[in-house]
Amino acid sequence: MQPIGIIANPASGKDIRRLVAYGSVFDNNEKVNIVRRLLLGLDAVGVREVLFMPDYFGIGVRALENLEVGLKAGFLDMAMEGIQDDSTLAAAKLNELGAACIITLGGDGTNRAVAKACGDTPVLPISTGTNNVFPAMIESTLAGIAAGLLCTHPSFRETCVRRMPRLDIHNNAKLVDLALVDVVTSPPGFIASRALWDVSSIRDIFLARFEAGHIGFSSVGGHLGLAPRSDQGLHLVIGDNGREVLAPIAPGLIRWVKIQSCRPIDPGEAIPILPTPGLAALDGERELVVKAGDQLTVSLNLDGPQVVDTSETIRQAASEGFFIKPIVRS
Amino acid sequence: MMDLPKEKLLSMYKTMVAIRGFEESLAEAVTAGTLPGFVHLGVGQEAVHVGVCSALRPTDWMSSTHRDHGMILARGADIKRMRAEIFGKATGYCKGKGGSMHLAVYDKRATGCNGILGPSQTINNGVALALKREGQGNIAAVVFGDGAAHRGEFHEALNFAACWKLPALAICVNNHYAISVCFDDACSVDDIAARAAGYGIPGLVADGNDVMAVYEAVSQTAKIIREGKGPALLELKTSRWRGHFEGDPQPYRTPEQLATDKKKDPIARFAKQLLEQGLATDAELQALKVQADQELQEAIEFTDKSDYPGPEELFTDLFYTERRAV
Repeated sequence: MQPIGIIANPASGKDIRRLVAYGSVFDNNEKVNIVRRLLLGLDAVGVREVLFMPDYFGIGVRALENLEVGLKAGFLDMAMEGIQDDSTLAAAKLNELGAACIITLGGDGTNRAVAKACGDTPVLPISTGTNNVFPAMIESTLAGIAAGLLCTHPSFRETCVRRMPRLDIHNNAKLVDLALVDVVTSPPGFIASRALWDVSSIRDIFLARFEAGHIGFSSVGGHLGLAPRSDQGLHLVIGDNGREVLAPIAPGLIRWVKIQSCRPIDPGEAIPILPTPGLAALDGERELVVKAGDQLTVSLNLDGPQVVDTSETIRQAASEGFFIKPIVRS
Repeated sequence: MMDLPKEKLLSMYKTMVAIRGFEESLAEAVTAGTLPGFVHLGVGQEAVHVGVCSALRPTDWMSSTHRDHGMILARGADIKRMRAEIFGKATGYCKGKGGSMHLAVYDKRATGCNGILGPSQTINNGVALALKREGQGNIAAVVFGDGAAHRGEFHEALNFAACWKLPALAICVNNHYAISVCFDDACSVDDIAARAAGYGIPGLVADGNDVMAVYEAVSQTAKIIREGKGPALLELKTSRWRGHFEGDPQPYRTPEQLATDKKKDPIARFAKQLLEQGLATDAELQALKVQADQELQEAIEFTDKSDYPGPEELFTDLFYTERRAV
């Protein structure tokens, strides 16, 4: 049986959005509780081995303390630096080891780091904050059960795992970074506290997904009323002389955003990030300094990470009688 | 989100370089035996000093710890009088009576370095209460370390400030060591900022090695406090490059850990950001360093030429004036 990987980021859920956008505070002790429930879910459906990414807080170690589970827990052999690259390295190792699934605890940033190296290993993202589009706010007990079913019954992978799109950022045709949900550009500035919350400073929004009902910049596209498509992204140019859309760009921050133009992005189409210099935020965090003369482009890649549908997995398992013991008549 | 003119950015860079040079010159003086007593240096924490002070208004008040000469320099204090004070000279800001650990510069609204860690927050509450009564939108910021955050005063002060909605900004500079005790061995949570939830106030963590991240976090937090929404707790993660005090052999950390910390050099990082964005050239940054070195040299000469206070100064400048008769 393949192991299950767990990547829990101790650094997520405490940035400036707690202040400027009323984001929820996610203490690491709560992450330990989430992982405990996750392990109990995995154990209940027969998972035998989990592998944790080591982290400076010891989320995995603390979660295992006094927890009665039959599964074997280990830690990836890797040096940790307390940076986002730890998650990328852990995802690469878990993919190499053939993990049945990688469960992530973090925000869009953590999942972006994982998506860079997880290959075709399915990801089950649990949100540890209120400002995320990619990971869902789901109860970890259920996430454990769903990931466990995927491990013990690989056939669920055919019907309960969906390929998600991503946005690739190239510089002179070389892939330099990616985003799972949105790329937002603004005039030159500092990365500083990373989060993006001021709509007056935005030039362009590129979206890999734009369903209504999500928080963050994807809601700007989602609220335009367009039918969501899994094979197209959206490029919005921000400015006057167009429609205004009311969108929840962050928790508690509902803003009118002026859309000058809007057009679909087809897969493979490379749209330049102009003008330069500037700044690009990936999945809500200022990340890339675009220098004068840089030839950066954004393109939609339909071969993004494979994501586990928790509800669908449990629903299918239930319909197939997985949770019922046969009646034994004496 | 941040629209700072080039002049301000370059001035911030120069101040960081000046603080580094100032602190390193004190280390040399301790080694040479020309500066007696305990000196606690903030080398490696320049992003905190400059980021915090650049984001505060000149009319705000600020208090700090014994590791914060840099904080007062960043507040705009004169480098000559700062050095003279640390060397106990009569030309210093406190006529040589405060020294390194009790250095205060009231005309810069810096209540000063405080060698007693923990109570500075409760003192800051008093300043904040006065500012609230004044009603001019000014705030009182207090800087303290991770060790002080484990003391009772930290909790008392946050609770009091929250209950009274004081315009107080508590800034925990978490450099990972309380004298010799590693933060990991002394704290049940990995972020001091998480404790803000216990008092119903905002708490956030920022990268204390990135001056612009500090600037932005303090600016945004101060803005909310000025609006009358009460206090906030900001944690700046950084590292100190030198021992707790000059002469500390640091058996509690390995050279490898120190080398890792030095890779996060806030000055090199800010220089890279300025160059990357075309906001400065190598030549401009070098010229600022030369200028800072020159000013430091003048401060050293000023201090060397200055006299110690005379014995007749022993009972002057006391709050308790009757003692003069002793």
